[in-house]
Amino acid sequence: MIASVLLAAALAGQPPAAHEPAPAPATVEQASPAAAPVEGQHEAPAHDAGAPHAAAPAEHGGEAAGHEAEGHGGPSEILMHHVTDEKYGTFVLGPLDLGPTKHLVFFLVAAAVVLVIVRLAIRSYREGIPTGIGAAVETLVVYVRDEIAERNIGHGDGAKYTPLLLSFFFFILFAALIGLLPFSATSTGNISVTMGLAVVAFLAMQLAGISKYGVVHHFTNMIPAGLPAWLLPIIIPVELLGMFSKPFALMIRLFANMLAGHMVITTLLLLIPLMSAIGLVFGVPMIPISLLLALFIMTLEVLVAFIQAYVFTLLTSIFIGMSAHPAH
Amino acid sequence: MPTDPKALAYFAAGIGAGLTIMGGAAGIGRLAAAAMEGIARQPNAADAIRGAMILSAALIEGVTFFALIVTILLAIK
Repeated sequence: MIASVLLAAALAGQPPAAHEPAPAPATVEQASPAAAPVEGQHEAPAHDAGAPHAAAPAEHGGEAAGHEAEGHGGPSEILMHHVTDEKYGTFVLGPLDLGPTKHLVFFLVAAAVVLVIVRLAIRSYREGIPTGIGAAVETLVVYVRDEIAERNIGHGDGAKYTPLLLSFFFFILFAALIGLLPFSATSTGNISVTMGLAVVAFLAMQLAGISKYGVVHHFTNMIPAGLPAWLLPIIIPVELLGMFSKPFALMIRLFANMLAGHMVITTLLLLIPLMSAIGLVFGVPMIPISLLLALFIMTLEVLVAFIQAYVFTLLTSIFIGMSAHPAH
Repeated sequence: MPTDPKALAYFAAGIGAGLTIMGGAAGIGRLAAAAMEGIARQPNAADAIRGAMILSAALIEGVTFFALIVTILLAIK
């Protein structure tokens, strides 16, 4: 259905000539001041040559500008509009604007879905043998507890961090799965959301060490025992860098994975209007090809949702284990 | 030949993305080949090997994404 809308937009609203006047002002505006004088010499003849051309599709130019205002401009704008955040309203609280945005709404939806599903699972658990949702959730919970928390933290500390790891797992899983539904968005495809998750993971790593060894001993644990003193100026910056790059890598990995899948799906669907801009002969056969490729990537995204939830949880548990049991 | 700086940025982004993917694919490919071989030789250890493989693949992928984000920034800024 999205594909047919895109095709209609390509056929009705955007004749190929309309593409050309639209980017031209953008490049002139965005050229940096330093480059402008150099550019000017080359630009002048180019403008003369372009002037008669630009006069003819002036109407189209206006039309294209109107389209861009709605966010349905060129392919790259459709692509960015699909993955970037969007404001739904404003709610100013002091210096902050806490208005709802697309990603915030779907963030809350994902959190609510997790809460509802877990509550349903607990209810089915109370009636004896779990059925349906209860059994499905139990499988994942037991897997996270036994295969992730106990195996990588272990030594009596696994149970303490299982609730945190389960929260990560189910939130990332449901945020990614909800993002695959039509008219929705993946809240973990926003770097602020993944930064929040990574900050919580970072605090958990530090707390795991500090609560066990105390503040001073926790940080001296990072230095290998029996290290020559002249290596300290090298090893301390390296360990500090490692301490902060772990959650940073968690943040980038989840963000990029969630963003990349949606960008690929949108790009594959955008092939239809791009090909039909060349000619209907190319555009119409592109419809089934694009739809099949997009369907393939979408099914792959279901797999990626599980893998990323697993990877984020697994890496967090390994890092927590590293600071709780620094000996290995 | 007049060149737009933006065109060079797009050019660099395309080449950079290609090189990034080549590196990432080579790394994950070697990893998967070794894991397959390991599982074929020692089917009992399939679970442990699979877990370690996913972990290493995630680490390689993380580095690849760092580079990809640089190229995306080149293309959209």
